[in-house]
Amino acid sequence: MPVIELSYSRLQKLIGKVSKKQISDSLPFLGLDIESEDKDLVRIEYSPNRPDYSTDYGVALGLQGLLGIKTGSVKLAIKKSKNYRISVKPTVSKIRPFVTGIIAKNGKIDDKTIKQLMTMQEDLHFGIGRKRKKSSIGIHDLDKISFPLIYTTVSRNHKFIPLNSEKVLSISEIIADTETGKDYGPLLGQSSQVPIIIDTNEKTVSFPPIINAAITTVTTKTKNLFVEVTGINKDDAEDMLSVVATILQSAGFTLEHIQISGAKNSSPKLQEKKMIVDSSLINQTLGLNLNTSKIISSLKKSRLNALSKGKNIICTIPAYRFDIFGPMDLVEEVALGYGIQNFEPTISPSQTLGQINPISFQLKSLNQTMIGLGFLEALNSSLSSKRVLYDMTNRDSKNIISVLDSKSQEHTILRDSILPGLIENLSRNIHESYPQKMFETGGIFNLDNPVSEKTNLSAIIAHKDANFTEIKSVLQTVLKIGFGIEIQTKTAVNSSFEDGHCANIIFNGNTIGIIGEINSKIIDNYKIRVPVVGFEISLSDSILKFI
Amino acid sequence: MSQVFHDIEKKIITSLKETPIQTPETLEKSTQLLPDQIRRGIEWLKLKNLAIVDESKSSIISLGKNGLDSFEKGLPERRLLNLVKSGPRKLSDLQKELGFIFGPAMGLCRKNNWIETSSDEIILKITPSILPGEKTIQQIGKNKLSKEQIDKIDLTELLKRPDFIVEDIIKSKKISLTASAKSIDISNTSGAIDVEAEVPEIFVARTHPLKDTIDEIREIFVTLGFSEILGNMTQSSFWNFDALFTPQDHPARELQDTFFLDGISAKKIGTVEQIRKVSDSHKKNWRYQWDINEARKMVLRTHTTCVTIKHLAENKPDEARIFSLGRVFRNEKVSYKHLVEFNQIEGIVVGKDANLRNLMGIQREFYKRIGITKIKFWPTFFPYTEPSLQTMVYNEKLGKWIELFGMGIFRPEVTKPLGITKPVLAWGGGIERIAMLKYDLDDVREFYNNNLGWLRSNTKCQ
Repeated sequence: MPVIELSYSRLQKLIGKVSKKQISDSLPFLGLDIESEDKDLVRIEYSPNRPDYSTDYGVALGLQGLLGIKTGSVKLAIKKSKNYRISVKPTVSKIRPFVTGIIAKNGKIDDKTIKQLMTMQEDLHFGIGRKRKKSSIGIHDLDKISFPLIYTTVSRNHKFIPLNSEKVLSISEIIADTETGKDYGPLLGQSSQVPIIIDTNEKTVSFPPIINAAITTVTTKTKNLFVEVTGINKDDAEDMLSVVATILQSAGFTLEHIQISGAKNSSPKLQEKKMIVDSSLINQTLGLNLNTSKIISSLKKSRLNALSKGKNIICTIPAYRFDIFGPMDLVEEVALGYGIQNFEPTISPSQTLGQINPISFQLKSLNQTMIGLGFLEALNSSLSSKRVLYDMTNRDSKNIISVLDSKSQEHTILRDSILPGLIENLSRNIHESYPQKMFETGGIFNLDNPVSEKTNLSAIIAHKDANFTEIKSVLQTVLKIGFGIEIQTKTAVNSSFEDGHCANIIFNGNTIGIIGEINSKIIDNYKIRVPVVGFEISLSDSILKFI
Repeated sequence: MSQVFHDIEKKIITSLKETPIQTPETLEKSTQLLPDQIRRGIEWLKLKNLAIVDESKSSIISLGKNGLDSFEKGLPERRLLNLVKSGPRKLSDLQKELGFIFGPAMGLCRKNNWIETSSDEIILKITPSILPGEKTIQQIGKNKLSKEQIDKIDLTELLKRPDFIVEDIIKSKKISLTASAKSIDISNTSGAIDVEAEVPEIFVARTHPLKDTIDEIREIFVTLGFSEILGNMTQSSFWNFDALFTPQDHPARELQDTFFLDGISAKKIGTVEQIRKVSDSHKKNWRYQWDINEARKMVLRTHTTCVTIKHLAENKPDEARIFSLGRVFRNEKVSYKHLVEFNQIEGIVVGKDANLRNLMGIQREFYKRIGITKIKFWPTFFPYTEPSLQTMVYNEKLGKWIELFGMGIFRPEVTKPLGITKPVLAWGGGIERIAMLKYDLDDVREFYNNNLGWLRSNTKCQ
């Protein structure tokens, strides 16, 4: 989840009459978790579904509502204008088909505003922009650009001075040599033509979704902004634009319209949408009994507009709240506006009878029997490693199930057996007193259309006199006492066990496991200094009873 | 109440009653016990305030080589004086007769003005009746005497002379009984053993501490009227993500967060209708090209919610309280607070009366039963619930609020495509986190280290 840094004093200026404590007390009830605080600074974590919280302007809007300082929805006031036009050439449709944008005038930009806008842009790119794949933003100094603009494509030889550079670079050079070029260049694939925004004097404005031109860089001297959003989906691009437009308006800019046409593109509407929610759905879902006026005031505290028509609430939702899919999202907005702290938890009398799963019950009895036999319960990860599962124990690694790109080398392969993990556990305890007796019950995995999961029991004994008879006695007893079944052992050869000291475990004519003295090579591999005996059986197929 | 004594103690007490002050050596002889038994017995009695152990150091004095020589033949200076008693003697003759003691003898006699030398002759001046040290040499003789018995001035003098005196420091213990021990009637204590003595350590066989916590939580759910369902740890992306309204390009579905099984896809992921309706919901709400191959990819479940949603989709209950409990996986770097594999509990309530306040109420009840009473709720976000909340619980040990379970009501975008018509409350969270608080651990890895030292020693009920 994204984290941003805010300043209490700046928030106080944006919100109005409010104390620092009121702000820090209210933030969690907007869904914003306080990560850390340091005097005037506070770091908060927000949910990616609320990109408007990526700046203090957006957070201030939310807090104004919750604290009742300013409620109701934020209306975008966009001045009609014919001065700004973008025409789109059909060539872009194959690579990045849509562009949209807005003009923001007469704002004051200081260092802190630039910092807030940059964080917003990064967070939007990462979240709803899906790392710029779906949509990306460019914010430019309007006064360095001559309208009308053209959104078109150029070859990779096209040259301009990109942001944060002093040299003229070709598109190919930008993609090969600059940091953002390397990160986002792959989004354009192998296409020989790349998207570009060019002004009327044929100056390059932007190379989406990679980088702006240096000439349009926004500084503290900038007064007027041009914002463009490009993307692979028109609605997504307009969603992103609606967030930027709302934030810029809150930051004191006056918005002006841009006319966009060509190749299925059109001017952004950034319209509010209407949604109806039944007040009984609200009350049923929340367990409350609110009248319509309380519902409406709660929605307004969540910065939405609403009016009632009988039982129905007609809600007006600003464009930047595209996280609202349907009525249930409005129910949540009511809950937030009402205040989560005001909900009294209740408990409805249970009408159901609880039941432990029969498998869990049987496994628990089995565990108790193993403990009665003097074994300590161990727990190992089901995601293990080639070293533990195969290399150290001399086992065949033909049919392994591995995971992709694990961040931990010790967790790369799903175990197909529990015993290797237990032997490894012994090796970590050679300084502890003997005898050592451990067991584990747990899941094992095998390739089987696509994967089968079974529950196994494995037990292990290590001390200077450990031998086959001792472990077979344990096996025999646990199955007899645990499940009332009797097994036989038949001589077997297995690379993990000593030749002549190993047997298959047979139940009803089927092999359900293996038992024996662990191969001395394995014991040497692990530098264990006493003999080790053990067994592993499958419980799933014939022992556990599925009721 | 009669006191309890070990056999060793009894023998020592009896012997000390006969001979009140003894050394360990004399006790060995009188009790026929081994030196080690005597040592232990004395230690026990001392701890019980029944024996007094007087440890002292003493100096034992005996004569060295030159001392013994003087004892037999007289001090060197006495021998010189004796030789010149009957008249002056030639220096060279005396030298021959006295050998190597001539030098020291001459020195002393001259220094004390007992003799005079003229040219090569030595003439007696005075014969002292007793020389310093002379008496003491005779007193010690061939014996060993304690330092206190010897004249201090003499001893100081003799100690200055090489190899005259040998001093040995001897540590000795004198054992005696205290007044209360003297009144003990040993014959009255027979039959009892020393129940206060230390015994060897043995190790208990036991369930794993984390398993204890899991079992405890399972029992709480059952007593709250919930039934347990089980499910696989390997799941298709369809049930782990798609069915839970997580779009296919969502960051959580990337390799860096989720374990995908290498090259393994599920052929059958759901019914035709389930797949169609789920994909429609994605296309409509998230506006992208839904890809069935993406949904087929097998993952290690990132939550147990895939098990509950599958259960609900298959059974469509009108009324239900179920829970699932098991391992879940996240592709994270292992650290003191993160594991790649941990346990999760998840509870589900289905019914027409399932509402947010009831959801909060069940949480409060659950926490109360694991001993947490200070809780509060904050709004949060999950892709598949709306509204969504998280519980914050106050940890007294850490002195701060910590995040525990997440909860919410399944979104209609989740339930509708799967034919679930009644509201579904869902909540859950990691169990290790609760167990860490319980066992006061600050490194979550300890649960899977299988360190016998820890498993054998930690307290079961906390």
